[in-house]
Amino acid sequence: MMRPTPLGRLRDTALPWLLPVAILLGWQAAVSAGLVSNRFMPAPLDVVRAGWDAGRTGELWTNLWVSTLRALSGFAVGGGIGFALGLANGLSRLSERLTDTSVQMVRNVPHLSLIPLVILWFGIGEEAKLFLVALGVFFPIYANTLHGIRSVDPALVEMGRVYGMSRTELFTKVVLPGALPSIFVGLRYALGIMWLTLIVAETISASSGLGYMAMQAREFMLVDVVVLAILIYAALGKLADALTRQLERACLAWNPAYRSA
Amino acid sequence: MLLDALRREAPADPAPETRIADAPPASAPARHPAEAASRGIAVTARDLRKSFDGNTVIEGLDLYLPAGGFTAVVGRSGCGKSTLLRLILGLEVPTGGRIVLEGPETGPRRSDPPKRIMFQEPRLLPWARVVDNVTVGLSGHGSRAERRERALAALAEVGLSDKAGQWPATLSGGQRQRVALARALVGRPGLLALDEPLGALDALTRIGMQDLIERIWLAQGFTALLVTHDVSEAVALADRILVVEAGRIALDVRVDVPRPRRRGDPDLARLEGRILDHLLGAEPNV
Repeated sequence: MMRPTPLGRLRDTALPWLLPVAILLGWQAAVSAGLVSNRFMPAPLDVVRAGWDAGRTGELWTNLWVSTLRALSGFAVGGGIGFALGLANGLSRLSERLTDTSVQMVRNVPHLSLIPLVILWFGIGEEAKLFLVALGVFFPIYANTLHGIRSVDPALVEMGRVYGMSRTELFTKVVLPGALPSIFVGLRYALGIMWLTLIVAETISASSGLGYMAMQAREFMLVDVVVLAILIYAALGKLADALTRQLERACLAWNPAYRSA
Repeated sequence: MLLDALRREAPADPAPETRIADAPPASAPARHPAEAASRGIAVTARDLRKSFDGNTVIEGLDLYLPAGGFTAVVGRSGCGKSTLLRLILGLEVPTGGRIVLEGPETGPRRSDPPKRIMFQEPRLLPWARVVDNVTVGLSGHGSRAERRERALAALAEVGLSDKAGQWPATLSGGQRQRVALARALVGRPGLLALDEPLGALDALTRIGMQDLIERIWLAQGFTALLVTHDVSEAVALADRILVVEAGRIALDVRVDVPRPRRRGDPDLARLEGRILDHLLGAEPNV
């Protein structure tokens, strides 16, 4: 392969953004020319203005902060439990026999279908959102941690035993690193589910947060704020994905499939 | 003493013992490293039996491996040679009989030299750098810095000093097996079991590895047990060859050809032919 020239590298960086930028420009042009009514679809500049206004009053930042906090705490609780149970069931037959069937049964219930029940239990307080996010995040982390531990090469585990590794060493040096690629897959799924769940929950029952902001805007026909909220979701999702990618690259550098080109 | 007694008591070995070459049979020359280093573990197996789900793999096998010797076990695939090795290493539990490993008499029990195995595949940890893969062989010994230093020395011994910081994925097959050899040797083993470790290598790399293993065995004096289906490899390396058939030792041959052995040596070739004849003439066991 040829060494990329600076120009070539610029092109490689710019290429993925070509399409979104073209769409934005076409969109702005269509609205400005009156082809699309801005009651249904605000022009990109209107959205930027809405963002500027919401940012100036501090309303946007408050809502963003509230939503992020909810997402992360739900993720920590659900992901933590899922990871712990995945490890336990991957390492212990007894634990697996005891819990796996139940988990698989609950997993097949769409967690968002519990919203009416959750509102009855917790009202529209923080607990409701935390519960739903934690529940949604739990399954991908659990299933992928378990699968990762299961798929660790038994030949390597045997090698570790023969070479006198203690149980702790066997776990930290063989089992966990071997399960890591699969755990990362679970992490990325979970992050997607985290935002999805939170937005649905906030749209239906909340008095603050990004989803609430979008619902309020709908009440007052503020299309630009609705679109702003949607774009922020997209950005947050992309940010979470990029962070995971960085983490993967750092932790899985040994794997040629993850090494940066 | 006890071992000698056991051996005399043991039922007459059904396998005919043969010697080749003109070397005097009784007094082996001083090439034998056992006296020099005496770090080896002696292995005794008595009436050893192993079956998997009613399928008998090893049947009433008696065996004595003296400390510091280099023994090769050959046989058709499925004859139980790998199972024998795994039993001796303690990787499988025998169905009957017993195995006694005896280390050198000196020193406290805790400092017994370990037993190590080189597998058919390198079995390196893909997420650990080469040098960290070698320190696996020192699990639970010494400080971090000390382990690293010894690992680097072992890597130098197999000629891979410059690869210490690499990921295993970047090495060739032969280099990976050399890392596995360094990992096996770094703990100064008393018994090194080699389970067809060179089977997957190309012919030239294999010969290089054989020379390397022989050189290190001569220098360190551990007991070596090589399981292989390659008779020429067994003949080139071992000073005793056991042919295993249907879970028993069918032939026990001493190789008294002095080292260094030249490839294509007529004595070795004759011996190889004899063992092959035996293997091919034997009733195929499926």
